[in-house]
Amino acid sequence: MSELLIEARGLGKAYPKVHRSGDRLRALGRLLFRGEDGDRISVLRDVDLEVRRGESLGLIGANGAGKSTLLKLITGVLTPSSGSVRVRGKVGALLELGAGFHPEYSGRDNIAMAAALHGLDGAELRRRLPEIIAFADIGDYIDEPVKHYSSGMVVRLGFAVIASLKPDLLVTDEVLAVGDESFQKKCVRWMQDYLDGGGTLILVSHSMYHVQKLCRHACWLRDGEVAMTGDVFDVTQAYLAWHERKSAPQETSPNPDRRNVEFSVLDMSLDGQTGEQPVLLGQGEPLEVRCRIRSREDRMPSVAIGVTRADGTPVYGVSTDMDGHHPQRLAAGEYACRLVFDALPLLPGSYTVRVHPLDPEGVRVFDTMERTLTVRGATREFGLVRLAHRWDTLPGEARHE
Amino acid sequence: MNAMSSTTLTLRFLQREFRERFTGSLSGSAWALLQPLLQLGVYSFVFVHVFKARIPGADAPGYVPFLVTALWPWTAFSEAVLRSTTVIQNNAALIGKVALPREVLVFASVCTSFAVHVAGFVAILLVLRVGNAGIALGGLPLALMSYVPLFALALGISLACAAVQVFVRDLAQLLVQLLPLMMFGAPVFYDRALLPPAVQPWLSLNPFTFYADAFRVTLLHHGSVAWSSVAIAVAVAALVLVAGIGVFRRLDAHFEDFL
Repeated sequence: MSELLIEARGLGKAYPKVHRSGDRLRALGRLLFRGEDGDRISVLRDVDLEVRRGESLGLIGANGAGKSTLLKLITGVLTPSSGSVRVRGKVGALLELGAGFHPEYSGRDNIAMAAALHGLDGAELRRRLPEIIAFADIGDYIDEPVKHYSSGMVVRLGFAVIASLKPDLLVTDEVLAVGDESFQKKCVRWMQDYLDGGGTLILVSHSMYHVQKLCRHACWLRDGEVAMTGDVFDVTQAYLAWHERKSAPQETSPNPDRRNVEFSVLDMSLDGQTGEQPVLLGQGEPLEVRCRIRSREDRMPSVAIGVTRADGTPVYGVSTDMDGHHPQRLAAGEYACRLVFDALPLLPGSYTVRVHPLDPEGVRVFDTMERTLTVRGATREFGLVRLAHRWDTLPGEARHE
Repeated sequence: MNAMSSTTLTLRFLQREFRERFTGSLSGSAWALLQPLLQLGVYSFVFVHVFKARIPGADAPGYVPFLVTALWPWTAFSEAVLRSTTVIQNNAALIGKVALPREVLVFASVCTSFAVHVAGFVAILLVLRVGNAGIALGGLPLALMSYVPLFALALGISLACAAVQVFVRDLAQLLVQLLPLMMFGAPVFYDRALLPPAVQPWLSLNPFTFYADAFRVTLLHHGSVAWSSVAIAVAVAALVLVAGIGVFRRLDAHFEDFL
């Protein structure tokens, strides 16, 4: 078992009820002379949490469930009202948009302050400053006051500082979603590298996609209490199911535009699973992709199937017309095809499988349907796929042994 | 957080404080010297030319050096307390989001006030010396040493006030009223010897009385300070500092709940 970085026991937080100005004075008196205070509203109760080095924990829950409060307790911004939390190692927190940044000061000054707040001294800062500025990549804005920044730039700056700190524990929430596509990719890539390098992550997110992509464990908070902890897929599925039950009557109708285009995807399945839930697959296991295509004029479509990494990096794509294969005609205007990978060589990670119907010439894309695929496994290989390989000795070099 | 990074953090906050005070105002850093100079000009006009104030005794200095030696330290002290009282409240956004040793904020604020006004003090003493106003510059090291307990006193009061201000927002307004009372209750504008003998001992209850006397003894050789009162002043400053730290530590954990 690796080192315990966070250990919370019976952690709770309650805020004092302060309605009238007299309450503040009374609270002050109680705190000063008796060391306790009175009426409280509890926002977090009895949270037990353990995070070990190298773990990645997703914190999920509805608004007001106490996620931010828990993070603030972990980062030491808040003091627990009950129980205890112990944190070892250097914590890098990126909690709210521009937290800790002073709007009147330039990006450069704010980097200096943020670095000092995270315990970097002047010499260390000078050494890392070029790296931080390069990562933030906001050009000449670095010398402008932060109040003139777009929210994306603020996030870039904040993330650049945290990234340079190489913290033992990274605590972050969805601020990353504010960045543009390229910056998000950069962040996700950085986080994956960070996790691969043994970093520990706590991520608060409403995007199950992000949580599943980056975290192996999850903790679901409901009304200030831990509803469930465990494997990320179990917890997120339970959480989504709870949400679905809450908003049951809302049935999403298929996009009306879909019915009018020449070719559209009726459905697709990965290993026979059709739901929105990601499909789990062990490394090197077979994968079967099935899809049904509707053809308005009953012309035979061409079908392209592609796999991308969750951050959008293409891995592989192939279409029926490339291989000279023809989809099966099931009924009038309905075609199907089935693509089998006997041993999918993808490395562990989260991927997206996309199905696109094309015109028979294989030129125009008409529709897209996608499913998430998660490949699980324990390997330290780099990249996206395992390339067939073997290690060998150099011919004629054996005498050096 | 280790001591080293705390130092870096303190330096950064000091840097920020200085810039906040001087880059926002029109005359920049000159304001630090200008404002007490103007104040001094007004006071010396009122007291020397309107009230014709006199300092008793044959070897008594002129009124301007007499005023300078006590008014400047007072300005450092009162400004430190006034500004630091709201420093936690003003940094609520930072405190709510980043874990940091909050006393650093108060410390940086008090340091800035003292740095500005001690520098101004030395500058004006030199100006007065050039103008031949009977300043004994040999007493300067001792005078500067008197700033140490004064700083401790200001820091202790500031820590307590900054913490209490989080809970009771009227404190800052109250201080604006109370600090002038403390000033007039100490021999800043007048000499203690001018008061009726029955009143004189009561002035010693005011912590600033010692400093007004001490600065005049060291720099003007005016009046006298007993060694016992030095000991008492240092003890009081130390006690106030310890009490201030105590109050601050006690309330520190609850700032977020009330900010």
